[in-house]
Amino acid sequence: MELLEFARGPALQSAMVIFVAGVLWRIIGILALPFISIPSRARKGVLPEGEVKGWFEGIWRRMWPHKSFIRQALFSTINGHVYHIGLFVVVFLFAPHIAFIKDLTGLSWASLPSNLVNAVGVVTAASLIAALIHRLTNPVQRLISTFNDYFSWFVTLAPVLTGLLAVSHLGARYETLLAIHLLSIALLLIWFPFGKLMHAFLFVVSRGATGARMKHRGAQI
Amino acid sequence: MTTNSSGKKNLTTGRQPETLSDMLQRRGVSRRAFLKYAAMTASLMALPPTMANVMAANLARARRQSVIWLSFQECTGCTESLTRSMRPTLEDLIFDFISLDYHHTLQAVSGHAAEEARRNAMKENKGKYIVIVDGSVPIKDGGIYSMIAGMTNLQILEETVNDAFAVVAVGTCAAYGGLPHADPNPTGAVPISDLVKDKPLINLPGCPPIPEVMSGTLSYVLSFGKIPELDHLARPLSFYGETIHDRCYRRPFYDRGLFAKSFDDEGARKGWCLYELGCKGPVAYNSCATMKWNGGVSFPIQSGHGCLGCSEPNFWDMGGFYKPLSTGLGNMGSALAGAAVAGAALGGGSAWLARKHQGEYMKNLVDHEKDKAGQNSKKEN
Amino acid sequence: MSLTAKKADQQGDLSDDQRIINAMHTFVNDFGLTAATYMESCVKCGLCAQACQFYVTTGNPKYTPIGKIRPFQQAYDRHMGPFAPVYRFFNLVPAVTLKELKYWQELIYDSCTLCGRCTLICPMGIDIAELVKEARHGMFEAGLIPERLALMDRTTVAWGSPATPAEDFAEIIEEISQEYDVPINVDKEKANILVTLAPAELGDHTKAVADMAKILNSIDADWTLCSDGFEASNIGFINGDLALQKKLTMKLIETAQRIGAKTLVLPECGHAYGAARWEAARWYGGPVPVNVVHMTEFLDDLVSTGKIKLDHVDETASFHDPCQLVRRGGVTKAPRQIMEALGLDLIEMEDSGSFGWCCGGGGGVVSNTRADKLRHKVFDLKKKQFEETGAKRLVTACGQCRITLTMGAKHINWNQETDSLLELVANNLVT
Repeated sequence: MELLEFARGPALQSAMVIFVAGVLWRIIGILALPFISIPSRARKGVLPEGEVKGWFEGIWRRMWPHKSFIRQALFSTINGHVYHIGLFVVVFLFAPHIAFIKDLTGLSWASLPSNLVNAVGVVTAASLIAALIHRLTNPVQRLISTFNDYFSWFVTLAPVLTGLLAVSHLGARYETLLAIHLLSIALLLIWFPFGKLMHAFLFVVSRGATGARMKHRGAQI
Repeated sequence: MTTNSSGKKNLTTGRQPETLSDMLQRRGVSRRAFLKYAAMTASLMALPPTMANVMAANLARARRQSVIWLSFQECTGCTESLTRSMRPTLEDLIFDFISLDYHHTLQAVSGHAAEEARRNAMKENKGKYIVIVDGSVPIKDGGIYSMIAGMTNLQILEETVNDAFAVVAVGTCAAYGGLPHADPNPTGAVPISDLVKDKPLINLPGCPPIPEVMSGTLSYVLSFGKIPELDHLARPLSFYGETIHDRCYRRPFYDRGLFAKSFDDEGARKGWCLYELGCKGPVAYNSCATMKWNGGVSFPIQSGHGCLGCSEPNFWDMGGFYKPLSTGLGNMGSALAGAAVAGAALGGGSAWLARKHQGEYMKNLVDHEKDKAGQNSKKEN
Repeated sequence: MSLTAKKADQQGDLSDDQRIINAMHTFVNDFGLTAATYMESCVKCGLCAQACQFYVTTGNPKYTPIGKIRPFQQAYDRHMGPFAPVYRFFNLVPAVTLKELKYWQELIYDSCTLCGRCTLICPMGIDIAELVKEARHGMFEAGLIPERLALMDRTTVAWGSPATPAEDFAEIIEEISQEYDVPINVDKEKANILVTLAPAELGDHTKAVADMAKILNSIDADWTLCSDGFEASNIGFINGDLALQKKLTMKLIETAQRIGAKTLVLPECGHAYGAARWEAARWYGGPVPVNVVHMTEFLDDLVSTGKIKLDHVDETASFHDPCQLVRRGGVTKAPRQIMEALGLDLIEMEDSGSFGWCCGGGGGVVSNTRADKLRHKVFDLKKKQFEETGAKRLVTACGQCRITLTMGAKHINWNQETDSLLELVANNLVT
């Protein structure tokens, strides 16, 4: 029980402090850099509002690859969607997690049946493992991957696995598993701002900026 | 209570104590009922079916067991629980059968006579008697916060345990320090396990513990002359091996994601899971959900309240009875606000530094083609 | 990774340390918040490799687009990112070494045409092509670019054009005028339309100049070429020489302003469009005071407004999309509308329009002769896609693409000519 108290208390608290500070550090550290814009005349018919639209179009359009790229991007795209949606369901639609968020923010919403969330968790874990296998076997990914990629993968999978173990009471007592689960989340929160998991926030800017740039030129987003 | 007077008589006369079988016959309990009890206890403790007969045979032959019950920093709730059965049962008879040689609440004598009874029992049953403790022991300031007959609880415990066969810590106070141990623990209360290191120790936590857990454990010790299999907190696995959550009749609602959100909502009326109302069932190891209370009538969750996790260490310091398990402990508001300010400052600082570098770094360039036209415009870029 | 940099060229006599300083510090200057976000957002999915012809045709993972900018990334992490002070203090991200810069020279110049296919596939929307182009700025300042490109740079600095001295311009145009028997306006004091050229049009493709004149004359346009502002191809844009890029851009704008031109027509050249249409505003400091159009847009306007009429060719054709014009420039429909007006039966390649494969010669690769072998290899891809269409004609709207496709075909003895859209229009002009 003491481990669980540590996990629910000091571990989670300091992790959240680091998470909030780190995320703001990184986001503001990027957004406060000079905005270099090239004030060329937009393609005829593209208004400034159109570029804002291009921003959102960029965010939306890159959810799925263009037809020309589907064949090559099939595995990455489908597997990527599986674990992203899976993580969303597991993190935000599992009742105990909603209780956690409600306790923290006061916001709550409907949950999915726990058994269903467990099943999604299993699929998510499998999908993440498939992603690692792909990373290790694909020469391109292996060449460009760094510690950041592997560690980010690990801290993402760990809460999923420990969460599954906790709800199924496998391997140790529930309170130990719950504590390990919470500690793995603390690890995820601590690493999040400093590794590539920040893409969860940054994609809005990177996709959006390209969308706006391409819209400005009347080019394909 | 006849126990004490007959017990005392036995001790003082020194007559060979009767067996349990003898006593039951005298009380008019049928052999069939006795076998039923043995079988039930065996099954409660998850012993193999064949062991029920062994247990019955051993129990029948068992002689009265000397028990010294020490009460320290406690509320007597454990004793209340154990003695408040709704109807006379064989469990009661088990307590009748043991020789409870010292027990503040139940013994007839008082003062020096009582302490003498304890010392006599210790002398006569040296190495054989069982010490049952309820309540925690204060050790701060020399243990002066709880004293009996001029002795601190610690002194009594040390003296009594010395020649005991085994020690049973009954209730959460004895097992983990309990309420007296709660933050800020003004008396320096500690559990028995902190003080008794060289004797077999059984913890039977609960606030209070279930009566059948108590009698079952004692029956086991009487039958087999050894302590049952224990978990890492010295609790008998047969009673504390599973969580309330695992055996909870509301578990299907948890699995389906149906939760009561308040104590008077539709979900609460429909008997949905109380997880979000702070039920500690998932981390509470006890038999409440199977054995229930008051002769199998009900248990807290059945009556609509979440489990408090009273059989677990520090259950009162776990962030509140109504805080869901999956939430963090403590209030994060100001810490997070501070973190946000610090993060924003670091971000702003790093961006300022980066902007400064952009200006300064460009001054360090040396043109690689000295005669190249347009080099002057470079610095304007 | 073993960094065996073969064939890394260097210019000037800077010390090794100074090269590194120049590279790192110039890299740093390119990071605004957009580029910074790009550097921060990569999830290393590796999909960009699948969009890159250099990876697809060789299977060599070193050609993965996002990997081509590693020194640039390193400069960002060490000097500009939010954690840069920490990285520097603990040396978690080391400064780039000269060996690394030399290794990356090939990746940044020889095996990237700035075509931007990778930008389109990137699930994070990272504009990798733009980043490679920016990385070239540092490489140029470090004096670490392929010698062939450096040579063109020096020539352009001296002459204002990589192949033609300004003082010879009028004479060359006069020769072209005589050869094709077309009046060509040069150095008119005032004109509505300033027409500009790319180097090939004063060399291999002189007919393009005549064709242009023929079309403009047919609509009685008020136009001219100018000796001091004819060079539209911007070698600074390609090499990463920002000073030169600015100089060339400003020269065009100043010339247009001087003669009072309302329209500046760019030749059939892709990078000219990127430099003059989209980046010129950076040097001018605002929207440029003249309407900059690509030859293809100009022709499309003439065709769609009925100012010129065209005979029908009635043949099958496929269009090779110049990257800077189409994918990076947004001019996708115009060439197709012109082809329709020409009565060409357009058969699109499997990947067309914004998704077309680069000819392999963009971004200076076609001029960078040491990259020939690699360029010929990636040419297979284009050839295969064109052959699958079964079309008779291969048409494009960029002189550099045309040269690359022609040279590629010649190298493998493939008997396929590449037509210029401008030339087709001129040849079939109803007068």
